[in-house]
Amino acid sequence: MASSTTTSAFPLVVAVDDSSAMRVFFEQAVAGLGVDLRTFPSAAAAAACLDTHQPALLFLDIIMPAKDGLTYLQELRLTSLHEKTQTIVVSSKDYAQDRASAKDLGVLEFVAKPITSRQLAELISRYTGARAIDESTRA
Amino acid sequence: MSENYLRFWGVRGSYASPQTDKLGVGGNTSCVEIRAGNHLLICDGGTGIIPLGDLLISESPTPETLIVFTHYHWDHICGLPFFQPAFSAEWKIRFFGPGQNVGDIEQRLSNQMKSPYFPIEIGSWAADIEYVKPIEGKIPHGPFDVSYHNVHHPGTTYGYRVEIAGKVIIYMPDNEIDFLRSSIAQRTDEFTEEEHQMIARIQREERDVELSGVRRADILIHDAQYTPEDYSKKRGWGHSCYVDVVNFAIDAEIKVLYLYHHDPGHNDVQIATIHQECLALVAERGSSLQIHVAREGAKIPL
Ligand SMILES: [Zn+2]
Ligand SMILES: [Zn+2]
Repeated sequence: MASSTTTSAFPLVVAVDDSSAMRVFFEQAVAGLGVDLRTFPSAAAAAACLDTHQPALLFLDIIMPAKDGLTYLQELRLTSLHEKTQTIVVSSKDYAQDRASAKDLGVLEFVAKPITSRQLAELISRYTGARAIDESTRA
Repeated sequence: MSENYLRFWGVRGSYASPQTDKLGVGGNTSCVEIRAGNHLLICDGGTGIIPLGDLLISESPTPETLIVFTHYHWDHICGLPFFQPAFSAEWKIRFFGPGQNVGDIEQRLSNQMKSPYFPIEIGSWAADIEYVKPIEGKIPHGPFDVSYHNVHHPGTTYGYRVEIAGKVIIYMPDNEIDFLRSSIAQRTDEFTEEEHQMIARIQREERDVELSGVRRADILIHDAQYTPEDYSKKRGWGHSCYVDVVNFAIDAEIKVLYLYHHDPGHNDVQIATIHQECLALVAERGSSLQIHVAREGAKIPL
């Protein structure tokens, strides 16, 4: 019980990416960081979490089956919960037009793949303030 | 009228190219007609949709018509304001394209007809117009099975998969194949050995997703705008080099590939050379893939 209370006190980070290898990169990035990471393979799957939670940081891929990440973000921005959710786009689709749409949607950064877990960890720390945690206090 | 066929009305990418040395292939921009009896499916509304509309307007009874757009770059929509059936009360036309909802589709198609860009707005369309919402990722249209997927091109852009009379046709006029591979190649020094392995996995996954969307299609109509030399200068513009397209089509076990969205700067001779080079690649790989140049006016029975 104590540990779940501790965990939920960590900032929530959500990553939506259809690549399972990318989701592993996210897992590796947060190992040892004090964040609560949840990953989803599609916008539809992420809805279960994002309909009710505002993460401290949201990562979105662009090209996914069904809804693309920027269309999904456009929808999220219309809700009061996600009007200002801190969002980073991580995509292999790197065009000026997509960068401009992302900017219009208030995206903090637009990062082109490939990206490594080191670089993801840096971004997470920068925008959530999460730091490497001392394992002994992680009851 | 029970005939099933596919006909190319516009095969150019980017902008129309009506110069005489290019008319063997054709100068109009993206538009493909797919016909099954009284059902008509039109893919994109580039300048090619204008002569199609001129022919359709005398047709009676009017066919059940669905027009799908891959995206809203000019070369895919600029013929629509001159599409005669939209101005006839005899017609019913349904539209589909990228957007969050039907309002988005309407707005994006109508913007190009607003003042000062055009003399009349879509309010002057007399046809019964409907903007359609997909049902579970599909757009129902008579005997057609039409679905879409996101592709690699600036802005939200769709590729379409059309199933008709037991045949699968894939329409991907604007798509940059293998963009990630070249991004990785440019930044290879940044990564550790372990990261390289993970990145290779991400790349394989992305390739598998791309292939699975088109695998074993009977007909693939695909962007083949660039030569390797063009692509070295225009990587990241959202179009493919024909070498990547041929390899992609072979890997996906496509039966027939139509080279499409030709560069408006390439004349008939240059496109014939591209075709020959594509055929040489197929021979080199020992594949049975058939490759044709999409030509304006070509009618393919289905
Ligand atoms: Zn185009
Ligand atoms: Zn385009």
